[in-house]
Amino acid sequence: MTHMKRKATELHRAAKLYASECKEGKLSRREFMTRVTALGVTAPAAYGLLGLAAPEAKAQTAQMGGSLRMQMDIKAQRDPRTWDWSELANVCRGWLEYLVSYERDGSIQPVLLESWEANEDATVFTMNVRPGVTWNNGDPFTAADVAHNIERWCDASVEGNSMAGRMSALSEDGQLREGAIEIVDDLTLRLNLTSPDIAIIANMADYPAAVVHPSFTGDDPVANPIGTGPYRPVSHDTGIGAVIERNPDHTWWNEGNGAYLDRIEFVDLGTDPAAWMAAAESGEIDMTYQTTGDFVDLFESIGLPASEAITAATLAVRFNQGNPPYDNVNVRRALQMAVNNEVVLELGYNDRGTVAENHHVCPIHPEYAEIPGPVFDPARAREMIEAEGLGDHEFELISIDDDWQAATCDSVAAQIRAAGINIRRTILPGATFWNDWLNYPFSSTEWNMRPLGVQVLNLAYRSGESWNEAGFANAEFDALLDEANGIADADERREIMAQIQQIMLDEGVLIQPYWRSLYRNRRPNILNAEMHPTFEVRYQHYAVS
Amino acid sequence: MLLFLARRIGVMLATALCLTFVVFYLTNIPAKLETLAKTQAGSRISDAEVASWLDRNGYNQPMLVRYGEWLGVVPGWTRTDGDGAVTGRCYRLTGATEPGAAPDRCGLMQGYWGNSTRFRAPVSQVISARLGATGWLMLWVLIVMVPMALIVGVLAGMREGSRTDRSLSTFAIASTATPEYVSGVVFIALLASSTVGLSPLLVQWGWIDGPVLFQGNARSALEKITFWNFALPVMTIALYGMGYIARITRASMTEVMTQQYIRTARLKGVSFPNIVLRHALRNALIAPFTVIMLQIPWLLNGVVIVEVLFSYPGFGWTLFEAAANNDIELLLAASVVAVLVVLVTQLISDIGYVWLNPRIRIT
Repeated sequence: MTHMKRKATELHRAAKLYASECKEGKLSRREFMTRVTALGVTAPAAYGLLGLAAPEAKAQTAQMGGSLRMQMDIKAQRDPRTWDWSELANVCRGWLEYLVSYERDGSIQPVLLESWEANEDATVFTMNVRPGVTWNNGDPFTAADVAHNIERWCDASVEGNSMAGRMSALSEDGQLREGAIEIVDDLTLRLNLTSPDIAIIANMADYPAAVVHPSFTGDDPVANPIGTGPYRPVSHDTGIGAVIERNPDHTWWNEGNGAYLDRIEFVDLGTDPAAWMAAAESGEIDMTYQTTGDFVDLFESIGLPASEAITAATLAVRFNQGNPPYDNVNVRRALQMAVNNEVVLELGYNDRGTVAENHHVCPIHPEYAEIPGPVFDPARAREMIEAEGLGDHEFELISIDDDWQAATCDSVAAQIRAAGINIRRTILPGATFWNDWLNYPFSSTEWNMRPLGVQVLNLAYRSGESWNEAGFANAEFDALLDEANGIADADERREIMAQIQQIMLDEGVLIQPYWRSLYRNRRPNILNAEMHPTFEVRYQHYAVS
Repeated sequence: MLLFLARRIGVMLATALCLTFVVFYLTNIPAKLETLAKTQAGSRISDAEVASWLDRNGYNQPMLVRYGEWLGVVPGWTRTDGDGAVTGRCYRLTGATEPGAAPDRCGLMQGYWGNSTRFRAPVSQVISARLGATGWLMLWVLIVMVPMALIVGVLAGMREGSRTDRSLSTFAIASTATPEYVSGVVFIALLASSTVGLSPLLVQWGWIDGPVLFQGNARSALEKITFWNFALPVMTIALYGMGYIARITRASMTEVMTQQYIRTARLKGVSFPNIVLRHALRNALIAPFTVIMLQIPWLLNGVVIVEVLFSYPGFGWTLFEAAANNDIELLLAASVVAVLVVLVTQLISDIGYVWLNPRIRIT
């Protein structure tokens, strides 16, 4: 059995790290609690890490009944596999469920699957379908339904089907490969991959991977809401709102562990957070979908506490190694050394995140290995630049004109300048920036999170990869990454990960200052509605007290 | 009179034709079509997928041909798939599936307004629902704005240069010089915030139950209009239009008050209120009447800002959404409606002018 999820009893590595930071006073206790509980550590255990006893918690248990109004964009629905916004998926989560789910602590948990196993080199996956699940039209949920959905995902001829890319190890010429799926019996199926891909299960937790009934065709999962979940849509008006209610004619497989609310209303209030604020003040909404910037505090001030999710989304301030002088590892390392990532987080992103370590693997990734982080030494940085004969060279850091991205690069450049190295800042408008983002000598790119540490490394740092904007080509790195891709167990993979992360640091690939946190504000009586790192709104678990 | 009406309707059609062509041209430049494909088929699709989407949905024909399709003078596009199924503009609009079942032409002239790509619904349905919402807003704006403006204007113009005139004029100038996006925000901050402005004081004194006095968001007015959720958007639009009409009324009133017949009436001993109401008012209302009618299309501008600010889904909000998502057929229909509103109000103003001023005759 090689489940990818961490054992429930094991403490997350980052939790210990945060505990020591908290004891040293680098982290406030409140911050510590938010971060550590986000990693799946229970509150009493988190207090235990600090050597304190947990305060008596107020009894707040979920009750049946009640309703909730939430601000969220309501976009025109379309075929789930072509969803390009999480909001589209969130509306349908009450009746369209997933095979597996990605949790706030970084683990993958079974939903419509009961369990899964991978073979030694992660090329054959056996999936066990959860018994006793029925569709809300009465049909039983079987392995054939799973196979049908995987076949749909593999169909690359459908425009905008982003699942096709995630299922590439199962497909051939844009369709499901012959023999890729074997249906062993009603509740078991086997996937035969062309190459090792440990991310295949994680990809099935992604929002376009909603499981639809075999009769589903066309474009609108709201008009024909056959699903396995406990809710059903009442109305859905693009740009205005959607109403969902508990389905009285269907017995949910997970009955008793959710479906507390009678009714959920999504209200689309446009993109201006000031309008959400006004709606919250007059009592028209109970929670926001995502709050950013100063509005996190503003909502708190009117009685809607914030919930934070640590994510592996980040800004990669990378060097392109195809452009001199960045082909010289000493130059790259010197510039890294001139920058203190904590300061960048504070000035560039208002401290709304966690400090990162220049290797693009996040503590919430299951295989994250703890290695000594980057060194901050501006004096040494200046010496190294002079030793390379670049004392008078003027570096240039390019960024897009987006608010926080520009601020972050400004703060990186300011520190490099403070170390006595000449640097110029260039800010380009979005329309120009994206035309050439792969080739700028020194610039920054926003990267969204992937559940596994190897996924971004595969996309962005493997030699010759189409999104390899760093121009990084290292045979040893590629070989280690290949090896890691074939190990399904996160603990085993971590040993190789430590070497991979070390290579990233030794080669000075990028300045990666922080991991962004995401926020949402909700009224204190709403339970189980914490922010999710991939924006999931699982209202089937929300409750009011 | 009939000739006049016929000429007016002719002008209206010509204007609508020109305007829709401009809108059509601007929404159909290649970059805009790419945006449309990406909002429809997925924001991260490749260039090849964009091209294939545009091809499959009939967007790759010459622009003039497609404008003709929309008007209904050119047959709609059709395409036969590999398996013999026929799709096309008219098949989608009529819901026909059998080859040959759909009409040849299906444009404006045949009564088809097309489908909104943003709302995935027939344009006629979207426009009528949203116009209804804006109708309520405009109705209340007119009910508040017109009497207030006339009262302020008449009071100020009765005695030119008096203290009443100076203070009311100042108020009128200030209100018309404040754009909606400023006054709306000021209103929300003053009256609809639980942390600043008036509401925290009222809560402290125990005068109101909820955290805020007025609602700074008018979404709930879609289901039920109340004083508390509709006051701020109505006030925001009304205040802006009011100042202007009050100024015109004042100017017209002061002019009338210097006329000889007013002096004659005074000399005959008619009381001042009687002079204002009986002798001056009707003559002073000619100019404001035209301005009020001209102001209605202007208010539609304000409606865009106010409806977006207060997230009230009406016509202005729809226009904003359609423009932001390059919803071609919805934008075209919205511009036709805008032309209609402008010309119908002008027509009313011309006819009303004749009624108020017997010296003018329509020929």
